[in-house]
Amino acid sequence: MRIVVLVKPVPDTTGQERLGPDLRVDRAASPTVVNANDEYALEAALKLREAAGEGSVTLLSMAPDTAPDTLRKALAMGADAGYLVSDPALAGSDALSTARVLAAALGRIDHDLVLAGADTSDGGSGTVAAGIAALTGLPYLSYAAKIEPDGASVRVRRISPTGYDLLEAPLPALVVATQALGEPRYPSLRGIMAARSKSIVTWSLADLGIDGSTVGGTVATTRVLRAEAPPARAATRVIREPAPVAAAQLVEFLVERRLI
Amino acid sequence: MFPAFAEVPAYPLVFPLFWGAVVVFGLVMARHLRIFAAARAEGPSPFSQVPRRTAGLVRYALVQTKMFKDRRAGLMHFGIFWGFVLLTIGTANIVTGGLVEAIISVPFDGLLWTAVSVMQNVLAVIVLVAIAYAFFRRLVIKPARLTLSASGLLILAMIGGVVGTELLAQAFQAASYGDIPGAFIANALAVPLRSLGTQATETAFAVLWWAHIAIVAAFLVYLPYSKHLHIATAPFNIYFRKLTPRGELPAMDLEDETATFGLRTLQDLGWKDLLDGFTCTECGRCQAACPANATGKPLNPKAFIMGIREMAVDAEHGIDLIPNSPIVRDAYGLEDTQPAATALAAPLVDGAIPYDAVWDCVTCGACVEACPVLIEHVDKIVGVRRNLVLEDSRFPAELTAAFTNMERAGNPWGQPKSARTDWTKGLPFVVPTVAELAAQGRLDEIEVLYWVGCAAAFDERNRRVARSFATCLDAAGIRFAILGQEESCTGDPARRMGNDYVWQMLAAENVATLDRYKLKSIVTACPHCFNTIGNEYGQLDGHYEVVHHSVYLQRLLAEGRLRTIDADAVGDTAPRTVTFHDSCYMARYNDVVAQPRAVLESVAGLELVEMERSGKNSFCCGAGGGRMWMEETRGTRINAERTRQALETGAGTVATNCPFCMTMMRDGLDSAMADGAGTVSAVDIAELLADSLAPTPSGRQLPVIQ
Repeated sequence: MRIVVLVKPVPDTTGQERLGPDLRVDRAASPTVVNANDEYALEAALKLREAAGEGSVTLLSMAPDTAPDTLRKALAMGADAGYLVSDPALAGSDALSTARVLAAALGRIDHDLVLAGADTSDGGSGTVAAGIAALTGLPYLSYAAKIEPDGASVRVRRISPTGYDLLEAPLPALVVATQALGEPRYPSLRGIMAARSKSIVTWSLADLGIDGSTVGGTVATTRVLRAEAPPARAATRVIREPAPVAAAQLVEFLVERRLI
Repeated sequence: MFPAFAEVPAYPLVFPLFWGAVVVFGLVMARHLRIFAAARAEGPSPFSQVPRRTAGLVRYALVQTKMFKDRRAGLMHFGIFWGFVLLTIGTANIVTGGLVEAIISVPFDGLLWTAVSVMQNVLAVIVLVAIAYAFFRRLVIKPARLTLSASGLLILAMIGGVVGTELLAQAFQAASYGDIPGAFIANALAVPLRSLGTQATETAFAVLWWAHIAIVAAFLVYLPYSKHLHIATAPFNIYFRKLTPRGELPAMDLEDETATFGLRTLQDLGWKDLLDGFTCTECGRCQAACPANATGKPLNPKAFIMGIREMAVDAEHGIDLIPNSPIVRDAYGLEDTQPAATALAAPLVDGAIPYDAVWDCVTCGACVEACPVLIEHVDKIVGVRRNLVLEDSRFPAELTAAFTNMERAGNPWGQPKSARTDWTKGLPFVVPTVAELAAQGRLDEIEVLYWVGCAAAFDERNRRVARSFATCLDAAGIRFAILGQEESCTGDPARRMGNDYVWQMLAAENVATLDRYKLKSIVTACPHCFNTIGNEYGQLDGHYEVVHHSVYLQRLLAEGRLRTIDADAVGDTAPRTVTFHDSCYMARYNDVVAQPRAVLESVAGLELVEMERSGKNSFCCGAGGGRMWMEETRGTRINAERTRQALETGAGTVATNCPFCMTMMRDGLDSAMADGAGTVSAVDIAELLADSLAPTPSGRQLPVIQ
């Protein structure tokens, strides 16, 4: 099975996140890493490939031209190759532009299954995957807690507010991964070394046949109005009492907040 | 033909019997060596540091200082060892047709040989008493560290048999043929034996004499297959012991794509590692000292080393005892036999050491410290971790976050760099960063760089230690600076967890930073930072003078740059009893035992009480070797056990000199207090000192630390 995983280089959230004066993320200020939720999607893809004993896992990304360094980290986890769409005209793209570009790129990569993370830690719209599905006509299976491909179709257990929905769609299809699929692996040094020689193909908008004026910041349909720091978290309360007393206090604490 | 043995029937048969056994011994030993050839060629050179290596040989092999850590067992072993060695003179005489006696008899008209006989008789009794105690110990006392094995008992029986038959043979010889000059015990024993009649005593003599030499031959043949092989290997193992700092893990070349990273199979071990295996005496001192083993975890350092030997012996099964000579090989087109390929390729994990046990190790080095024949367990366990992490990415799930945090945020907790200087807020003096001083062109003013470390920078409890230590430095008028946001994790936890890739990345970054500012003199309160900067950064060409804060503070006190309040000022209040918990990486790895105690003793009204396991025999808090970032799911908690030991002293305060020890002891004490123990607190030595500093000469009152 040929799996394509959508990955995005994002500013590292373990550092300090900084916004520029234009309220867009100042990417130069922090190191770039693979978006955490995309790593879950990649992990799921790698597990599917391992279970099948054959197939390929290909990365697809739209990002600035510094992205290959970050994509190597995803390749180190075990992906086979990567495609990067990079073009100065893409700066400031909104979710719609991104979906259009990625949908076009997807048309040039053989695939049976497309996996995407739930959302990205920088933009956070969580709509790109749905946009791609809409533009390409791929079946869209979201919030997957379990992915079971079966020859020509795929079954997905979708997390719902009350439990699970069982979805099934013919392949090719697009599945949005969740963290319930399992922790991403930590790349081994062997994997890091192997990643050095893996191929990353870079496409410009021209390569994809897209007119630069139809995408990017100038035609963005969304606008950032305001950005503010999240409220500081309240102090943690640590109960240091013998177990029976601690249990009573814990119950009281939870009941007060109507949590149990 | 052999006048010395005229009374022994069929004496010349000794030669084929004994020398045949020597040949078998040689062949088995040679086969052991051929397994060494299958290992990595790396190992210490016999020609480096010869005086130091030789001195160690005297100390550990001849005087056996490490053995005496267990006094009774040490004395017993000393008796058996030296008795056995010196009694060899008699055996050597027998197997050389009396050559030894002939030579020794030359001076002083045979008096010297008489003296040898006196000594032999005395030694024989000493060995027999020691052997009897050894049997008693194995069968009746049964210390937990000893595995009851047929092999151990057989060896004791053989040694006892060799010595006993020799002494009795002499007694019957004296009874049959008259007193032997010098052999006073045998002569005394002969007196009652004479009543048996000459025929009986002569027969008994012949049987016992031959039994003696038969046991000697059997011992030689059995020796290379048994744990008693250590009499042949221990001297080499001691001579070739690790002489680099004990806290320096082997360097790794991560660019070599063809290499196996870390230790996967027997073939990845160096020859010294295999020698360790063949040297293990199974005495179990490592096991008894191991905090993981003591708290019911699968790790048993003894079983690991024995496992390496067992795997090596398995591999030997492919090799014929008698190698085909090149002539035979040419004539018959034979290849020489090779070590069993499957045994050589078998993984060490779950072969020599269970997977879980690999991760139980706190790298505290108690096993290495305890081993009388200087086996190095820890470097090998980290070697196995290296293979699991770098090749297979196989490790406890909790470590992923620690690795990623170190890699991305430069600290294991994933805290933002900007918070690194938060601990300085509210101090009544300014703690400058190196970058600030460099910008003002005042780099030269820095007397010492205070390497804060991640724990003191981010952990609320340890920040208080940093404030106390900085207060001491300020009170002593030391011009110090910190790196602030430019400081990064030293990489020590990553290295101990087997992730040398992350260690090299972080260490290289730190070396670059330190060298950019040309900083050479460093003080740190973290033993782990101290050890890796001081003992390991040299592998990346970073050379610094690092001093641990316990040593630094002791020096400031000794030089009079710091003064504590007089005992008079404290008044008649009851002394505060304090027990000091030694950090493994200070006491055991870096010999810092006296200095932190000297700091404590400078504090008026403080009474120091020692735990049973202190100094170089300290018991780990449970956080070393990256265990700080792993869940402790197997067995009981190590910090709870150490807390129990601390509480046993009755002290009201547990003093530490390590941020990890602080966290572990504090957690342990909190749990103990929740379970009803009295109020006992964990306090760093710098805090105790800062709280009792005398006002500085200017009369300025020192601030109270919050």
